[in-house]
Amino acid sequence: MKKTLNINIGNSIVHIEEDAYEMLTIYLNEVKHHFSKNADDYEIVTDIENRIAEMFGEILSAQQKQAINIEDVKSVTAQMGSVKDFESSEESEGAEDPLAHIPPYDGVKKLYRDTDQAMVAGVCVGLGHYLNIEARWIRLAALISMFIGGSGVLAYLIMWIVIPRAESKSEKMTMRGEEPNLRGFANSHLNPLMKQSRGFIAEFFEFLGSFIQGAGKTLFKIIAVGIIIFGSLFLLFLIAAVAGLFGIWDSNVYSYFPVSMVNEDYLSSLVIAVFIVFAVPLLALVLFSVRVAFNGRAINKTLSFGLLIIWLGGVVVSIFYIAKITTEFKESAELAQVTPLVARKTIFLTVDKTRFFSKEDSVNYQIESYNKNGRKILNDHHGPFDEPRNVNLRIEKSENGKSELVRNYSAQGKTFEAALKQAQNIRYEFVQKDSLLNFSSRLQLTKKASWRNQEVRLMLRVPVGTHLKISRDLEWFLNGYNYWDCNEDGTAEFTEWIMTDTGLKCMNERKDSDNE
Amino acid sequence: MIAENTQTQMRKGILEYCVLLIISRGEIYASDIIAELKSAKLLVVEGTLYPLLTRLKNNGLLSYNWVESTSGPPRKYYLLTAEGKAILGQLDHTWQELVYAINTSKTNLTNS
Repeated sequence: MKKTLNINIGNSIVHIEEDAYEMLTIYLNEVKHHFSKNADDYEIVTDIENRIAEMFGEILSAQQKQAINIEDVKSVTAQMGSVKDFESSEESEGAEDPLAHIPPYDGVKKLYRDTDQAMVAGVCVGLGHYLNIEARWIRLAALISMFIGGSGVLAYLIMWIVIPRAESKSEKMTMRGEEPNLRGFANSHLNPLMKQSRGFIAEFFEFLGSFIQGAGKTLFKIIAVGIIIFGSLFLLFLIAAVAGLFGIWDSNVYSYFPVSMVNEDYLSSLVIAVFIVFAVPLLALVLFSVRVAFNGRAINKTLSFGLLIIWLGGVVVSIFYIAKITTEFKESAELAQVTPLVARKTIFLTVDKTRFFSKEDSVNYQIESYNKNGRKILNDHHGPFDEPRNVNLRIEKSENGKSELVRNYSAQGKTFEAALKQAQNIRYEFVQKDSLLNFSSRLQLTKKASWRNQEVRLMLRVPVGTHLKISRDLEWFLNGYNYWDCNEDGTAEFTEWIMTDTGLKCMNERKDSDNE
Repeated sequence: MIAENTQTQMRKGILEYCVLLIISRGEIYASDIIAELKSAKLLVVEGTLYPLLTRLKNNGLLSYNWVESTSGPPRKYYLLTAEGKAILGQLDHTWQELVYAINTSKTNLTNS
């Protein structure tokens, strides 16, 4: 197989093979160069071109073929005669040296990379041609410079990029400083030794190049297949998640944190919108990967446009609802509830990890009320979808000598009233039993409601001199005290504190903390 | 070198004379001129004919007509002008003189 070109010669279109074209171009340039001394010469050249075209036409119809090859060009130019023949027929005229009026070839060399004799990319050989130095010396210099800070490598890479490869025959001849004429053309063209003299390193690099090209394609395909598999799985997961949210799963999902923020009225619209926002690009990615991996056709234009519209719709709806939900957090309200405690010299503070269930909840969870008050023991904080910490405890000294617990309920809403309503909806339980003060680990909502940053801040006020033994579980809720520093050996179930005039003090300060 | 030079000089003059002779028979296409010259073994390569034709035309000995061709672009058909015919007459005369000169020289050569 050979590349052919279409040329217009003598007003006829001729298919010609690439190398034949190069040879013909060189021939015609020589002819033009020869006939460029007076005004009639244009006509002569045109006549010659017309005749060549005619001969091509004859060859093509005689041999029943489509394209002119290099042998045809050779026979035609032989028939037409070379510039030398023209010279000898004219030399008598002025009785002058036939070579005198042809300006000698100025021998301008051009710098090209010689890939025919290349070791790597032909930079050194090309430089050798240009500088008229044997390539081996330049290679040696290049090799040495590579060990001098690797500058040779950089220079080589730059030259590789900057210097063009000698591709056509005339470029190769210009590279060697030969006049790009037919004789030189024949010489360099018919010299197959050039190819054989290529070093094995060059072949190795060539092999490496083609290997990387092939491997690169394979790698892309592998990546594409990976994307298809994982993308499809993720899509399935998304669909399952949406289906789950819409009731196949239990309704409990609504009480998990990120979802619980959303008003129940908005939820289905928002879920669908968010699903579209994530699923559509994923689908597009999978489709694109299918195209890469299996050389399939491009995605249908209407389909991709439709997908884009759907995605934009999803984005708009999502933003609308998210903005709407954001306004639900505009105002905040809080209310306080003070409960007097029985004064004790020593108070044990613990956390009750059980969770109170309302009657409704018990029905929802299908819990048999085997325990009184529908209680069930749950060990559930630090769960994956747990709400942000909504209970915290501060301990201060009491000014009036009485013990009391203040429960400060707060929530947010669109308006102050709405926020207040949300705050009133909060229920928080604690139990005092003799010297034991048992806190619930979480707040409850009496009516089902969306998450509006409901919080309860507990303030325990005790008189000066009261001993406090704080359970390790309560550390999670303690605000403002470094519980860890007070835990003498890090394992004690309770740590001892005492209320002083300046605040709560640890009884058994951790020893190594002094050194810090 | 001198021999070569003389040869080309002789060929050159005779080539011109032959071209005029061929064209004098009537309108003719350059390729046909070439074919005739080739059969007469006077012309080696075609390229030399075109400068010659152009020069003769510029000197007013030839003119040409564009003739439509069935296959391909229109072709130039050459014919002699009146001046060309006159010059051809002169050349005929010169040729006779040359033939006489050669013959005389050769017979003298064999006689002596």
